[in-house]
Amino acid sequence: MIKHFLNLEWKQFIRASYFQKGLAIKILLIFAALYFGGIAIFAGIGLFFILKKALPNVDPIVSVNNFVIYWFLFQMVIRYFIQQLPVMNVKPLMTIPIKKDTMIHFLLGKTTLSFFNFLSLFLFLPFSVVLLFNGYAVLNVVCWFLSIMFLTLCVNYLNFLINKSNTAFYIIAPTLIALIALEFYGVFAISKPIGVAFNALYNHPYLAVVPLLLMVGLYYLNFKYIKNSFYLDDTISKKIKEVNATDLSWINRFGTVAPFLKNDIKLIWRNARPKQVLMMSFFFLFYGLIFYTQPIYKDTPAILAFASMFVTGGFLLSFGQLVPSWDSEYYKMLMSQNIPYKQYLESKWYLMVVAVTISFVLSIPYLYFGWHIFGMIAAGALFNIGLNSFITLFGGALNRVPIELNVKAKAFSNTNGFNPTQMLIALPKLLLPMILFYIPYKLINFEAGLIVLALSGVLGIIFKNYIFNKIVAIYQKGKYKTVAAFGEKN
Amino acid sequence: MIMTSNLSKKYNDNLVLNIESLDIPKGQSFGLVGNNGAGKTTYFSLLLDLIQPTTGFIKNNEVLVHESEAWKPFTSAFIDESFLIGYLTPEEYFYFIGELRGQNKADVDALMAQFEDFFHGEILNQKKYLRDLSKGNQKKAGIVATLIGNPEVIILDEPFANLDPTTQIRLKGIIKDLAEKKGVTVLISSHDLLHVTDVCERIVVLEKGKIVKDLATSEATLKELEAHFAGTETI
Repeated sequence: MIKHFLNLEWKQFIRASYFQKGLAIKILLIFAALYFGGIAIFAGIGLFFILKKALPNVDPIVSVNNFVIYWFLFQMVIRYFIQQLPVMNVKPLMTIPIKKDTMIHFLLGKTTLSFFNFLSLFLFLPFSVVLLFNGYAVLNVVCWFLSIMFLTLCVNYLNFLINKSNTAFYIIAPTLIALIALEFYGVFAISKPIGVAFNALYNHPYLAVVPLLLMVGLYYLNFKYIKNSFYLDDTISKKIKEVNATDLSWINRFGTVAPFLKNDIKLIWRNARPKQVLMMSFFFLFYGLIFYTQPIYKDTPAILAFASMFVTGGFLLSFGQLVPSWDSEYYKMLMSQNIPYKQYLESKWYLMVVAVTISFVLSIPYLYFGWHIFGMIAAGALFNIGLNSFITLFGGALNRVPIELNVKAKAFSNTNGFNPTQMLIALPKLLLPMILFYIPYKLINFEAGLIVLALSGVLGIIFKNYIFNKIVAIYQKGKYKTVAAFGEKN
Repeated sequence: MIMTSNLSKKYNDNLVLNIESLDIPKGQSFGLVGNNGAGKTTYFSLLLDLIQPTTGFIKNNEVLVHESEAWKPFTSAFIDESFLIGYLTPEEYFYFIGELRGQNKADVDALMAQFEDFFHGEILNQKKYLRDLSKGNQKKAGIVATLIGNPEVIILDEPFANLDPTTQIRLKGIIKDLAEKKGVTVLISSHDLLHVTDVCERIVVLEKGKIVKDLATSEATLKELEAHFAGTETI
């Protein structure tokens, strides 16, 4: 049975129309995976010696135990954004004689092969081996290693649950954020008792049962969740909510783009996926807190420029990168309707500009960190409006992956907003503000950096029409390919 | 109104459509029939510039379809559900299309009032999103949306499929009315020979991308078509 599934997976993988297009990017990703895997292995080997040197009075295993929670936290966050969750087209399989349980086990089993799980393995296996060579007790080390692996899988399944179930997300995400905030502001250091717990895991090998049970429990929760949503009732006929339409006629003053703007607002408001993106982009506002509070970054203003761009650019980056994809479900209609591309794209641009402006207003409290920081945020906002928005729209022309708008309720589709391909396209968007700021900063001074960054945005606004025409031409050129790719359902 | 010349579409050496010439005059109700893979949807997609012709061209009211976009204001189409915006209510969708076609709310409302019996009380004021409607009701909404803004050319792919019998009969009335009284060129495709012969004054049969029959509908047409598709035709 598993053989059949694997066969289907493989075919789905190689027969997707965007596969050929993405081949170069896939190769890049493989290199990235090898690179990070390699780093993890070396770090795993070196970790013991580095810790011994840095903290000669503390047993390395104790230091690792004290800090290992950050590793898991990091994994949690990065997985939420990047990890591809398995997608399985379940409808055609429902009426043929395959046990549901087999399918679910396969699906969950597939997530075990995720690169992130291997990353943990690559890091902690060499570390454990080094421990053994240094005469640590075999039983303790082996059980500790197994515990870490179980916990990695716990994170894996937890991430699955958070992505698939709203309830899980709304319980776990605020809890985590609250705990981190408490830790960060020194109210209550949750990492202390966790460190103690990990040390206990090492000192008492039999305690490895606890992570094991935790993992089994989470697996079971996932299993139950998927099994419950395994009926057509749930996945295909959704719960029908009564519509309460809001009057958006005030938007009409925007002229020709008004109908699109109204649609886009409804798009965001009424679909699970864009709503998620909107919520996420709100969190970007707090991005600055991480950087501005750390004295290490005081002297690396290029990093601060990068962070400042993020403060106002959350929505722009996360919504904008999927621009034509948001309309993939009815793209054919848009293309045969009486719609000029320019107005369609302009509407998205206005949305991004409004979002940047709102974020900018909300970022006024950053004045607390001084005019320098706030100046950077302002320059970053201008850059976002005038340049980043266009780069984002341009990147969208290369993005031909269809999106299912309202899929969050389903357990069998990929709801992840971020995928690695888009991340690679996003790279220039992130690097450009740093470069624009850093070169004049290095050559002249801080103010010059700010001015250049801001000016790049102003220039973009001045040449808006010209740039738009260029972007429209690119969209036009790719139109047939985009129509074909969007026509292909998952 | 619609002039097709030397049109062909190839997918990797596989010729799926090859029409030497096909002229559809203004105000004609034109039916396209053919088995699966005959090229009906391909032709409609070419007509809407959703795919690129390999050779040849289509002129819609003297506008070269694959070069200019000037055909869009007077052409409307409903091919499949992907022409609907799922997260809108039917009313919002109609108003949106209306705005794209330069119609205000009152114009759209006036038009909708004419289709009250066609909607059968299942479309308007239901407080439901289009994505939550049944297939048949989605189709009703999609078909009526093509009538907004007085288009001169209307393209409907399989408009009768998924509709209940009452609606099918009403739709036939609507299509006939459009072509006869309002001078609208209506292009439909269908697998239902009876419906097409009822509605269309001209029927073209496609087979493997080629036109094999071009009939002006008469009383003998249905018989002829049935014989053709049954394979018992006498030559």
